[in-house]
Amino acid sequence: MARLLRSYGLMLKWQGLSNKPFLALNLIVQLMIAVGFIIGIGFFYPQITPDIAKYLTTGAPTICLLTVGLVLVPQVVSQGRMLGTFDYIWSLPVPRLVFVAADATVWILVSLPGVIASLILGSIYFHFGIEFSPLIIPAIVLIAMTGTFIGYSIAHAAPKPQMAQIATQVIVFAIMLFSPIMYPISQLPGWMQAIHRVLPVKYMADLSRGTLTDLNVNLGLAFAVVGAWCLFGLIVTSLLVRRRG
Amino acid sequence: MSQQILLKTENLCKSYVKGVLVNDNVSLSLSHGEIFGLLGPNGAGKTTLVKQIIGLVKPNSGSISINGVDIIANPAYARQACSFQAQTQVPIDGLTSRQAIELVGRVRGGDAKSVRARAQELLKYLEMEDWAKKSADIFSGGMRRLVAFCMAVVVPGRIVILDEPTNDIDPLRRRLLWEQVRNLVNMGSTVLLVTHNVLEAERAVDRLAIMDKGKIVTMGTPGSLKGNGAENMRFELILEPKQTLPDIPGFLRNTVTAGRRRIGRLRESDIGLATQWARNLKEKGIAEEYSVGPITLEDVYLKIVGHGDTLETTEKEDNHGTAAA
Repeated sequence: MARLLRSYGLMLKWQGLSNKPFLALNLIVQLMIAVGFIIGIGFFYPQITPDIAKYLTTGAPTICLLTVGLVLVPQVVSQGRMLGTFDYIWSLPVPRLVFVAADATVWILVSLPGVIASLILGSIYFHFGIEFSPLIIPAIVLIAMTGTFIGYSIAHAAPKPQMAQIATQVIVFAIMLFSPIMYPISQLPGWMQAIHRVLPVKYMADLSRGTLTDLNVNLGLAFAVVGAWCLFGLIVTSLLVRRRG
Repeated sequence: MSQQILLKTENLCKSYVKGVLVNDNVSLSLSHGEIFGLLGPNGAGKTTLVKQIIGLVKPNSGSISINGVDIIANPAYARQACSFQAQTQVPIDGLTSRQAIELVGRVRGGDAKSVRARAQELLKYLEMEDWAKKSADIFSGGMRRLVAFCMAVVVPGRIVILDEPTNDIDPLRRRLLWEQVRNLVNMGSTVLLVTHNVLEAERAVDRLAIMDKGKIVTMGTPGSLKGNGAENMRFELILEPKQTLPDIPGFLRNTVTAGRRRIGRLRESDIGLATQWARNLKEKGIAEEYSVGPITLEDVYLKIVGHGDTLETTEKEDNHGTAAA
């Protein structure tokens, strides 16, 4: 166990240093996403009611977390596959899941500025007070881990790395426009509602809403569904990174 | 040198696409404390073989053992036993040379103090101290390769696998790098050197195998591969542009053509005849220059893998019916 923790710490340092040059750029992108989704989407509504304001403010952190997990992670991992860097990383005497855990930790940390910025921006812009529940921390970690593991799975499952990059564009497009993150699920047609009762996206947004506002959300169900998707993503990631060509 | 076997592959076959064998019945063994060269042209299957040895790729059939441990069943053992310099890019962007080298040393189980000392020793020996604190983002290909070499040898495994270690590296540091490779053996490691730089390999390795089209076509010491027959001298003639060679004299055997170069073997006693023949060709404006020297490993290599459009045999123009070299 001590050896695993030591390896985790060293790989965390390695990945942290590797990402250091991009931290400032990431921060800017995250802020732009937050601004875009809170203020930009607000223009769609003729009048922002308190409930709409809550949806926009609490939906933006989920979008930020999913953008990192489902876009940035697959793109960086795909680039690594194209350059052959995983041949080197996998040759080190470090269990592959330990490396994935260290990498996921860095990505979660990278997501945090966007999450915090979107919450502060939303509460100031729409003049309402956020009610922080202690459950917000496990909720954010769970959303970020789920997104990252699914992103890892996409990147490693694609036969060609370029295919993963294209897939992420399609996924993020579907999530941003056709997912009940920035608006209630009741606004979607019935068949889309049925799909979203199985997919994790609605429940990720519910986690954010239920731990930051007084909106009526089944938090237990949201934790269970997102937790199940997180476990699924972890298992698939584990199988994919451990396979040998 | 101890003859105890450290690494052994037996009848290894690997295919990525059905029906196309990238490794075809590859069997070889490395003894403790030797530097073993794996030579071959691009696409010969060298890197695939290495990837199987370190557990990145699973063979279709055959066996691989390190120190008697089946590493197909236990790839984690291979990763612990082997330290590896990949031919592909090493993820060092954002890190300084020193950070990258020390991190790998720690990952490979070294303690902080001894890893720092060893990293410093390598940086100093390879004259890289000026880069020690600089970010690898600005490094040239050669500098990145040197850092990757240091990462592979900072805490060397029982087997150190170096895939094209000297690509893009300047001649001075190449020499220093080869000294460090030799030093690895003194530290108790065995080295598997993958390269297509035959001249460097000849000086560095104790034994070698030449691969071509997925198969090991020959294996032995550089001396044994060069042979110790009567025709142990190498004669090379460079033709003037657009000139063709008249009949090849009988003393010149096993000739091959590489562009304007004609290379053949001869007996030491025929050197006088050969130089006289070449001088005549120069006077007639047919030959530009010539040279005579001992047979090199490159000649053996060219003879074995000299197929396709890079090298053509002169079987047709060789009146003595010698085998294509």
